[in-house]
Amino acid sequence: MSMRSQVYEWDASRGTALTVATNLGKRTSIFVGGFGNNITKPAETTATEFVVIEDIAVTPSLGVHSAVAAGTEIRGLTTFTGSTGVAGVAGPRAYVQVRINTTDYFLDPDNIPNDGIPGSGSPYPRSINFQPSFNLYPDVYVLPGQVWDALVTYYNQGAFTNTTGNAVADELQCFVKYTLYDGPDALIANKLLEMGISINPGNVDWYKRSLLQAQA
Amino acid sequence: MSMRSQVYEWSNLQASSNQLRRTSTDQPVALTANREYDLFTGGVGNNITKPAETTATQFIVIEDIAASPVIGSAVQIRINTTDYFQNPDVTDMVGIPGLASPYPRGAPSTIDTTVVDSTSAGSENILKSFDLYPDVYVLPGQTFQILYTSRDGTTATTTQVVSCFLKYTLYDGPDALIANKLLELGVTINPNNVDWYKRSLIEQQQRSRVAGGQA
Repeated sequence: MSMRSQVYEWDASRGTALTVATNLGKRTSIFVGGFGNNITKPAETTATEFVVIEDIAVTPSLGVHSAVAAGTEIRGLTTFTGSTGVAGVAGPRAYVQVRINTTDYFLDPDNIPNDGIPGSGSPYPRSINFQPSFNLYPDVYVLPGQVWDALVTYYNQGAFTNTTGNAVADELQCFVKYTLYDGPDALIANKLLEMGISINPGNVDWYKRSLLQAQA
Repeated sequence: MSMRSQVYEWSNLQASSNQLRRTSTDQPVALTANREYDLFTGGVGNNITKPAETTATQFIVIEDIAASPVIGSAVQIRINTTDYFQNPDVTDMVGIPGLASPYPRGAPSTIDTTVVDSTSAGSENILKSFDLYPDVYVLPGQTFQILYTSRDGTTATTTQVVSCFLKYTLYDGPDALIANKLLELGVTINPNNVDWYKRSLIEQQQRSRVAGGQA
């Protein structure tokens, strides 16, 4: 199992539930941010691992009419409920950024890091109401020895049932799909990178076949 | 990371004019009918620090644009001073309608401003009729704008929140040079073709090395 498809799902309500007001407008790591389900240490690759991030997604939002009454549920998303929040937005107005070591992947056209992919562009979960406009291609490579993270930012406090307390289930979620190349396949992935070839299971297999053909 | 998939999302939400970052205190602002709003430096909604432009070592390929499918939204691309989408008589137009390229995909196309409950948003799911293909190229040194127009507009008291979405790939450094080369060759610029060009260079080098060894 040296090439493995992997996923990570983060829910703000699991583990130590996210405190809605405290984390508003701040970047929260889905791995070690201290809120939601977390892992034991920052995500990193060892010297014999290579990670290719193929998809990221976060809870979507929908622009609605600003006069819609507070607490109204539209397409499964809640509008402005408390004394604070963004009127006319159903959902958390959430974004997800990928960070490799200390570098943010998604930039504005002026080359300044932004909040990342909007949930409306890459929704999780996908539904008839919310379909993806965004496809993470080319993929994001995490080279051996690098640390990586996915950072969620949300701006609409009013989308949460308890605007000053803790997030509840399904109010804010994030999803990451990646492929982990380990051992010899990680070496091949490095070789493909040197050659300027996209790293995916098909190309790793192609490289193996070409080595076998060269030996024969 | 010399080929990077990038996105930009704009909404008519702001806490103050000429705002650069999104904030949790943003509120909807009214949009004037038939006025073009520059998503990057238009002064309304979230903006960036300077007009979007490519440096001498950058190449941008715009792959998708979309807008909310309400209030007659449309979105246009402008490269330097030239609008990309034109009428058949070569006159100016507002661009791709949000109904043809909706954001988010599956969003409703109708709003009822007289009700303030969940029926305010329509029940339909608008899917895209438009695919930006061939892609739009922004060559090194060019400036580009994305312009949003609402043909119906909104009022200050009952504002609809609308959004626009831009998806592009940024080629930087050596990959931007390859993108230029592909453009010269008349080959579509996408990550696959950039990789293909790199592979063909490597194969060429290997062949010449073998030929040199045999000589």
